[in-house]
Amino acid sequence: MYPWRGEYTIGNPNSSVSIVTLASIIDFPEEKVAIWGHMKTENLGIEKVVANVISNPNIRILILCGEEVRGHRSGHSLLSLHSKGIDDNGRISGAKGAVPFIENIDEEAIERFRQQIEIVNMIDITDKVEIMKVVEEQLAIDHEPFGEPYIVELVDNKNGDRPSVKRLTGKIGFHKDLILDPFLELEQMPVEES
Amino acid sequence: MLNFSKEQIKIKIGDMSMGGQPGESPTVLFGTVFYGKKYIDHSPEAMEEIDGFIATQEELSQMTGNPGICDIFIGSEEQIETRLSFVLDRVPENRPICVDVPESELRAKVLDHAGEIGVSKRLIYNSLNLGLEEMEKEALAANPPGCAIVLGYNPKNMSTDGRMEILENGAGLLDQGLLDIAKEANIPNMIIDTGATPFDHNTAETIRSIPVMKNKWGLPAGCAIHNTVESWLWMKDYRKTHREAYLTCDVGANALPVMMGADYCVYGPMRNAGQIFPFIAMVDKFIAEGGEDYFGIEIPENHPKRRLK
Repeated sequence: MYPWRGEYTIGNPNSSVSIVTLASIIDFPEEKVAIWGHMKTENLGIEKVVANVISNPNIRILILCGEEVRGHRSGHSLLSLHSKGIDDNGRISGAKGAVPFIENIDEEAIERFRQQIEIVNMIDITDKVEIMKVVEEQLAIDHEPFGEPYIVELVDNKNGDRPSVKRLTGKIGFHKDLILDPFLELEQMPVEES
Repeated sequence: MLNFSKEQIKIKIGDMSMGGQPGESPTVLFGTVFYGKKYIDHSPEAMEEIDGFIATQEELSQMTGNPGICDIFIGSEEQIETRLSFVLDRVPENRPICVDVPESELRAKVLDHAGEIGVSKRLIYNSLNLGLEEMEKEALAANPPGCAIVLGYNPKNMSTDGRMEILENGAGLLDQGLLDIAKEANIPNMIIDTGATPFDHNTAETIRSIPVMKNKWGLPAGCAIHNTVESWLWMKDYRKTHREAYLTCDVGANALPVMMGADYCVYGPMRNAGQIFPFIAMVDKFIAEGGEDYFGIEIPENHPKRRLK
């Protein structure tokens, strides 16, 4: 049911709780949690979480737990996205991660995420008992579904449509700036100096 | 196998040379240390393990001729001094060291510390990238490292052209290109990292970018292609029961950029040095023979082609 592939486990689609375990790998009871999985990167990883979570309007809570991802600061970046959004360049405002840029989901989807989801910050907590206590607390609350599913289509090839096949007579195409000529005599090879 | 029409820049930092036409220099291999939970508290056991990794990499480097560089992961301010001094005590005194620091603010602190202990010139800075902030710019100007790895990661456009844009003009995400930023900071040497991306995110452009960028700028180029293998979803499951298959892919992937002209590989955890050094030495032998036989490239004595008959 979730539109973007990733390393996650699907549980009960009617549950209001989702869990991101950052660098840790923790399993949860399928009947209690809608979707859970780890999240390594502060850009593509966050995009996957956002796209998948907003595709299920029953999810209203995201428990952010597990060990923070060293260097990437993915957990911190997700918190920043949720509280501050992105700037005009797609940079997550206030994020301290390495390259905290959102490119594959638009501002409307991010806004939807910010409105639909409440984040429970348990970064660096890896104790499953402690995390499950919060899951139970949240399940005891009557969270209303958030309207209709919001689907962000994943565009695998960021360059847009598949380009038409180009064939170069007598040459080997590698890139527009780098065409290989198998018939060129070595003496004819141009040499450019820096 | 390849030969570029653009003159290829060869850099030398301490006892390490990198770049030139394919075959002219052995591929430089960066092995990462201190990445992972078990190294956070610098326990005696963890430090002993790293000590062994560094010794093994050095031994293989001497044997093959492929320079081995320690890529020191630093995740917090408290780790800077311990990790730098630990590695500096264990590598030859004229060997550059690489600092792998994902956060901008922390990179600035690493630069300051390197300046204080007088090792800036030996520093390979990993990396100058889109995440650059003002404080880092100031630290770069105050204590320029001997070399910067300039990262061609452009989240807006992961094609080869997009990756080149971030280096050339900032791709609208920075006021200027990263190469100009490095020049303005008076960093004497630059090497390009084409920025490995996961499968289905223009992965092949990571490899395509290498000869294209080398032919454009003549700078040494490479990437950390092991990251693509590491993020391969299918393999994540498969490797649980087929570890040897994962290691084969992890090591073997490095042949792709090198065959396309890469001058260096960031090969991942240094514990894999035992596999990567003989493998890349073999790839280098192919490339060197191709360069010597067809293009007349002069192969140096320290090259695997000469050392490993």
